[in-house]
Amino acid sequence: MVDRSDLLLGGVPVARRFGLFNWLGLATFYRREMARNFKIWKITLAAPAIRAVLFASVFGLAIDHENAVMGGLPFMTFLIPGLVTVAALERALESSAFSIVYDKMEGIFGDLAVLPLTPGELVLGFSAAAVSGSLMVAVVVWAALLPFGEALPYNPLALLFFVAIGSLMIGLFSQIAGLWARKWDYITSVQTFIFLPFVFFSGVFFSLDELPAFLLPVARANPVFYIVDGIRFSLTGQAEVSPVVGAVVCVGVAAILWVVSYRLFSIGYRMKS
Amino acid sequence: MTETAENQEAAAATIRAQGTHTPKVCEFGHVNWRGLWTLYHREVKRFFKVFTQTLAAPVVTTLLFYTIFTVALQNRVGTVGDAPFAVFLAPGLIMMTILQNSFANTSSSMMTSKIQGNIVDVLMPPISPLEMLCGFLAGGLTRGFIVGVSATIAMSFLVDFPFHNIAAILFFALTASAMLALLGMIGGIWAEKFDHMAAITNFVIVPLSFLSGTFYSIQRLPEIWQIVAQFNPFFYAIDGFRYGFIGQGDAPFWLGAMVMIGVDILLFLAVHRMLVSGYKLKS
Repeated sequence: MVDRSDLLLGGVPVARRFGLFNWLGLATFYRREMARNFKIWKITLAAPAIRAVLFASVFGLAIDHENAVMGGLPFMTFLIPGLVTVAALERALESSAFSIVYDKMEGIFGDLAVLPLTPGELVLGFSAAAVSGSLMVAVVVWAALLPFGEALPYNPLALLFFVAIGSLMIGLFSQIAGLWARKWDYITSVQTFIFLPFVFFSGVFFSLDELPAFLLPVARANPVFYIVDGIRFSLTGQAEVSPVVGAVVCVGVAAILWVVSYRLFSIGYRMKS
Repeated sequence: MTETAENQEAAAATIRAQGTHTPKVCEFGHVNWRGLWTLYHREVKRFFKVFTQTLAAPVVTTLLFYTIFTVALQNRVGTVGDAPFAVFLAPGLIMMTILQNSFANTSSSMMTSKIQGNIVDVLMPPISPLEMLCGFLAGGLTRGFIVGVSATIAMSFLVDFPFHNIAAILFFALTASAMLALLGMIGGIWAEKFDHMAAITNFVIVPLSFLSGTFYSIQRLPEIWQIVAQFNPFFYAIDGFRYGFIGQGDAPFWLGAMVMIGVDILLFLAVHRMLVSGYKLKS
């Protein structure tokens, strides 16, 4: 229980004080985000697993010969880390943006501005929900793909790191997109015209070696490539670039996005009107 | 005299003074053409208003799918039957987007009206269940048609289509679009919340369209699954549509055509029955 005696001093309300963090507020906010995302678990957990299984099935059925190779790995072994990544990142993208736009449409988004939560705590709360949601999805999708020849991860710690940092990146991007959006179709546009091209050309379904040589530098400039490559390294032990380089790029991009999102929450961009 | 009665009296006096008649029952022939047109007009305006989401996004998604599947599989599949993999794949992807958009149009329209409570605006006007059905259906067909044509034009920059039989292309596009628009209405009437609808899309529509031979010839399936696949109407939609483009199909043309017509008639009757009875629409 919270000690409420400091709120009423001789019947006169006084400001509540928090330490460095308003832990109770943060935990409540996190719980709301998680409850929101997983109340509809059929859509947020089961559907991604089914989609991943469908993709694995159609690729598997379309391939002519069993010994098809991609990026130096058997085709399915190459594909599975990609499918896990897509599912995790999709969840991260939908997590915060959907929540924010939903509140905007209901006209209650301004409430966030009057909560005793600092902009930093809001960013932290949204990000924590996005990352933990994506980790759950990644585990479920990975398990669903077991029958397609999946094995135990080569490096579980690296896997945890890359799924977390990848979904943090996309989760922060999702906060920015949610703040920017005025209506639902802003979010669907972001999904179709920005997120999908970035993800599809990141080496999820094919090795970047398959692209024409002149496109390779462009493709390597895509930050999502480093997430996919890192997750593929963690699951199979093989990667196109060094996982250390990948980790540095991911942390760098996440830091930049964190600053942007923090700044937008601080100024109340499209939030207080 | 109460105030209301006085007002009415005054209004009637004004009307008499202007020489206008009191309103009378509007009459029309067998079909309320204006009502039907208005409903259709609304259905089309609904998706045109958000065309980036309803028309541009499906075309972009189709092109992205085409690109990733050809880059990933082109050198690993070779040909399917006599067709190069890319040429085999393209018509299936176009059909998939027709199917998904026809479904999305009627189901989301029905669903949104129900959630926002303005479904009464469709139930109250003097349009019969049959007219209502036709209005929604025509909206779904229009969206399917526009998306299909746009995707075909976009795709023809990448793929050299032989266009074997234009009539077959149009026939299967139309009947398949109708099938999904009708299914969308059933879904929209049945679902009570948006996540029911998302569940139907994710667990029924997407699997059926993925597993219907867009990406592979069903001859590649194990024998038992080949038989199962032949009971999936989506398979005939994609197969017949592809036959129109490249002149090669897994099922006989006439069988496909009969299945599509039969399924459409059954669904049409089912939706009509639902609208007449007011199932989940009128309480």
